[in-house]
Amino acid sequence: MASLVVVQHKQPSSAVLPSSFSDFNGARLTASVQYKRKLWQPKGALHVTASSAKKILIMGGTRFIGVFLSRLLVKEGHQVTLFTRGKAPITQQLPGESEADFADFSSKILHLKGDRKDFEFVKSSLSAEGFDVVYDINGREALEVEPILDALPSLEQYIYCSSAGVYLKTDYLPHFEVDAVDPKSRHKGKLETESLLESRGVNYTSLRPVYIYGPLNYNPVEEWFFHRLKAGRPIPIPNSGIQVTQLGHVKDLARAFVQVLGNEKASKQIFNISGEKYVTFDGLAKACAKAAGFPEPEIIHFNPKEFDFGKKKPFPFRDQHFFTSIEKAKSLLGWKPEFDLVEGLADSYNLDFGRGTFRKEADFETDDIILGKSLVLQS
Amino acid sequence: MKKPPFNRFSEIVSAGGATVWGDPADIGKVLEGKEFDVVLDNNGKDLDAVRPVADWAKSSGAKQFLFISSAGIYKPTDEPPHVEGELVKADAGHVGVEKYISEIFEIWSAFRPQYMIGSGNNKDCEEWFFDRIVRGRPVPIPGSGMQLTNIAHVRDLSSMLTLAVENPAAAGGNIFNCVSDRAVTLNGMAKLCAQAAGLPVEIVNYDPKAVGVDAKKAFPFRNMHFYAEPRAAKEILGWSGTTNLPEDLKERFNEYVKIGRDKKEIKFELDDKILESLKVPVAV
Repeated sequence: MASLVVVQHKQPSSAVLPSSFSDFNGARLTASVQYKRKLWQPKGALHVTASSAKKILIMGGTRFIGVFLSRLLVKEGHQVTLFTRGKAPITQQLPGESEADFADFSSKILHLKGDRKDFEFVKSSLSAEGFDVVYDINGREALEVEPILDALPSLEQYIYCSSAGVYLKTDYLPHFEVDAVDPKSRHKGKLETESLLESRGVNYTSLRPVYIYGPLNYNPVEEWFFHRLKAGRPIPIPNSGIQVTQLGHVKDLARAFVQVLGNEKASKQIFNISGEKYVTFDGLAKACAKAAGFPEPEIIHFNPKEFDFGKKKPFPFRDQHFFTSIEKAKSLLGWKPEFDLVEGLADSYNLDFGRGTFRKEADFETDDIILGKSLVLQS
Repeated sequence: MKKPPFNRFSEIVSAGGATVWGDPADIGKVLEGKEFDVVLDNNGKDLDAVRPVADWAKSSGAKQFLFISSAGIYKPTDEPPHVEGELVKADAGHVGVEKYISEIFEIWSAFRPQYMIGSGNNKDCEEWFFDRIVRGRPVPIPGSGMQLTNIAHVRDLSSMLTLAVENPAAAGGNIFNCVSDRAVTLNGMAKLCAQAAGLPVEIVNYDPKAVGVDAKKAFPFRNMHFYAEPRAAKEILGWSGTTNLPEDLKERFNEYVKIGRDKKEIKFELDDKILESLKVPVAV
């Protein structure tokens, strides 16, 4: 059962951008060559080469990561089906994407409408279709994965979008893939899924992103800063502001997902996927301003314990150090991020927020609570 | 050379090496007639100190020159870690040396270390924490304690240098952050030291300005993120780190006790000043 829905998304007119939205495979000014000679060269082609066209199922694929991933896969010549409830449009023309590219993509992408929590339907529809590879982009619980595995006994690869949120908090960073995980974390469903995949003996690959950013981000990461910068408001940052986090551009993540397809080096492996450099909270505020062309922001540090924010979160990041090493992916897969932070934030701004689009309306309630109270930490 | 660790240089001789004493400025005279394949300067901090050594090495036919520089030359950044190739402070002494040796040697390498632990260290590192933990004293740490630093076991530094000597073609022309592959927070280091000692720890974070102390005098680590990663060594030399602070600090604590430093009389004047200003009691 496949249906195709084509949606024309009306965008406000905007200046032509130098980079095409759908073409993001490497037209980048990379950092200057740091190393003269290498003892060994990491292997891994930039594009999927030898593998023939696969029949690919993406669980999800209409919101953020999948939007970019599905385009790359279709371009590579694979047959791609999106399994979604159909609540969001199956395709949307992306800012900067040409009519021709969008039409081509729309004509090729397939849709399997269903609720992945309806395990019987998942099992029957998937086994009826048969797929070579499954990309599970929106899976949260191990229970949801079982019917997929049951339906596809000859599955070549199960590629899972996990999360670096599974790592146990530590003072000794970065998180490497071998590090301790937290069975009590908010992301324990991801952990349980990884364990299930391991125990079922299926050829799986799990990617653990940190904070993902980029155009169409539905998580208020860069958007949170952009709202405040646009409003000319100070940026309230908890405690010292030197907490170190890590952002990874969604397009780099999509490329990593493509890089592991049919890649024997990725078989039964877990990879952290994020940016090359980490960033402090204060630094991130400044980077957002720089990327969007705003003046350097006023940063106010506050002690969260001194306020009652009710159910609202005063800041979108975990108040701790949180960053991973991506060297396993770099050395085993030959993948590396193409966006550095300011470039990536500029890409997000130019193609999304800067055009007047965003997911969540500005909400400065917690900011005003902080600013209203005279007791703020200054340094 | 009667004080440790310098009185341990006999260990080099027992291991089959040789030691020669002299002023680096006179190295040409001291080592007259001698030739070496590789020269490593682990002493000089600026061109005045290193130039005589580098010039002599060149003229006496040494093919490879290695210099122990410092990760302290990196410019502070909002985007850690410090990665080889990034901006350094142009006026730093070590930078002048790196530039000079890159000009006169074909096969040159610079190694930029941070902090290290290990037997024979002539600079306090973990000892600073042990001194307080073992005496049941609070550990005063400036700022939030979230500052990241890199503390490597000396065997990681030695293995990196060794790889460079063994692979001159790969190492030549490159800069290497000579550090472990993990960072630790300052508060985290205090906790790890306490765990290694099997003792509790009371960490007191303070604002040096408010208290009126110079953090540089009161605390042996930089009061800011100071965090480099050994990316070049991993990618170019195929080096891998083995520092495991939780385990390594246990061995360090054992030696700390063995040499009797836990019983040593130590004055904690700056600590007392800090704690008094914060009204933190110190158990006698």
